[in-house]
Amino acid sequence: MEFSKLFAIIIGTIFINNFVIVRFLGLCPYVGVSKKLDSALGMGMAVIFVMTMASTITWLIYNFLLHPDTSIFGVDLTFLRTITFILSIAVLVQFVEMVIQKTAPALYKALGIYLPLITTNCAVLGVSILNINEQYNFLESLVNGISAGIGFTLVLLLMAGIRQRLEFANVPKSLKGMPIAFLVAGCMALAFLGFSGLKI
Amino acid sequence: MKAFGELTKGIIKENPVFVMALGLCPLLATSTSVNNAIGMGAAATFVLLCSNIIISLIKNFIPDKIRIPCYILVIASFVTIVDMVMNAYSPDMHKNLGIFIPLIVVNCIILGRAEAFAGKHSVGKSILDAIGMGIGFTLAIIIIAVIREILGNGTILEIPILPTSYKPMIVAILPPGAFFTIGLLMGLINMLRNKKQKPGV
Amino acid sequence: MKDILKITVVLLIICIIAGGVLAFVYKKTAPKIAENKKLEEENARKEVLPKAEYFESVSDNGKIFYYKGFNENQNLVGFAFQCEKEGYSSTIQTMVGIDTLFQITGIKIVSQQETPGLGAKVSKLEFTEQFKSKNPEKILADKDGGKIESITGATISTRTITNSIREKFKNIKEKLSPEQGVK
Repeated sequence: MEFSKLFAIIIGTIFINNFVIVRFLGLCPYVGVSKKLDSALGMGMAVIFVMTMASTITWLIYNFLLHPDTSIFGVDLTFLRTITFILSIAVLVQFVEMVIQKTAPALYKALGIYLPLITTNCAVLGVSILNINEQYNFLESLVNGISAGIGFTLVLLLMAGIRQRLEFANVPKSLKGMPIAFLVAGCMALAFLGFSGLKI
Repeated sequence: MKAFGELTKGIIKENPVFVMALGLCPLLATSTSVNNAIGMGAAATFVLLCSNIIISLIKNFIPDKIRIPCYILVIASFVTIVDMVMNAYSPDMHKNLGIFIPLIVVNCIILGRAEAFAGKHSVGKSILDAIGMGIGFTLAIIIIAVIREILGNGTILEIPILPTSYKPMIVAILPPGAFFTIGLLMGLINMLRNKKQKPGV
Repeated sequence: MKDILKITVVLLIICIIAGGVLAFVYKKTAPKIAENKKLEEENARKEVLPKAEYFESVSDNGKIFYYKGFNENQNLVGFAFQCEKEGYSSTIQTMVGIDTLFQITGIKIVSQQETPGLGAKVSKLEFTEQFKSKNPEKILADKDGGKIESITGATISTRTITNSIREKFKNIKEKLSPEQGVK
């Protein structure tokens, strides 16, 4: 039972309700960092990492500090959800950046420039809030965070692969750059529609 | 004249959506109907205006090192206020916009304007800037919503405007429709701009 | 050192102000939000069982199982219950009203996020009206040999709602029966 629910979350978050092209979360990096495959990979890895951490930390904050029934204060502080979540994500990103810089310079070189961008990636705050809305428990939130990151990376990589080829295609002048990227995303969204209604 | 320029630049010349490609997530997600689009535009404009005012007022007291966290704090506070007020007085709209209300916090337009404009300019100018950018964003989201609602449902603001023989193109309100609409619109804008530039070049 | 002190103080002041303002707005809006939610549920129940003036909830293991509806003379006029089931792309929640003869008096889709333009049409009156004065035990979607007309392109959503009502009714039927004598 427990495992089947986790499996449903994984498939649901990666394919059926893909964060980027079905839920429309994290579009800015999706069109901004998808010009080259290797930078897309770097961004994707950074996002998976931060999303997983953010999911767990915001879950702990919500359940132990804010929610009236389970928190150590016993007061209803749920109205501080948005503000505490975004601050803890900002702190988390900064902290991760510092730790990686000190301990793994090679990794920092690969991910470093993407980390500051992630604070304002709405997919990270989005996954944290969705975990609360769906009333996931700790393990489910963790799994949902990882899956959301994987789903993001998947479409980012697909997009980067397509756009690298588009460089050599004969695109009408007015459609070059952003517009064609959106049209490609539209086609991808059409393909992902095929997943909706999938029964697990 | 100059003040007027601060106001209008956000609407056309520096339109946050079509020119700067900011704030895309709420733009695509909540433009399924004109109703939702107006709600989202109003909420974002309100947060933008309030946070621009506060930030331009307190900019001199904030040490440079921590200015981004301070901006985020101010923005998040206003977003939470909008969230609660909307839930209390317009629960249907609150339900429709759902997760995208708290996500106004990370709307890049708002933090972008705080950092690029309100943190450097006076209150008056910041107000004009916020109103201009807010209108620019609202206009863009309404344009997209109008197109999607007509194509996908045959209505505007839930009032039927197309003959009943029209078969709605449902894909327009589904996610792919959002991408196609904005892609084609941006292409159109580029085309118009290219044409305008040609005689000069 | 002085720098860190200044940063801390500034951040602390902003946090305190922000927290204070939010707490104030929360105090002001919280009762209204709770009231809205209660009103919405009450309206849904009244809509599906228009004869009833007020409702009493019947709980089972701490969860609300169904509602008894009474008219102004405190006579039992029917029951209302909420059922939910996984539809095509979301969980569809339906409020159902039945009279004391166990005929459906009305249904209302409380929440759904089905495909806009297809499955989402289940919320429309044209769809929900056809459930009226039917026996909740016997309803079946037309694709399953029943009489509930499916929405074009939304067989699954239609089937989900029909089945969820039938199943929930079967669940509570035994508990409802003794109530009938009371009226």
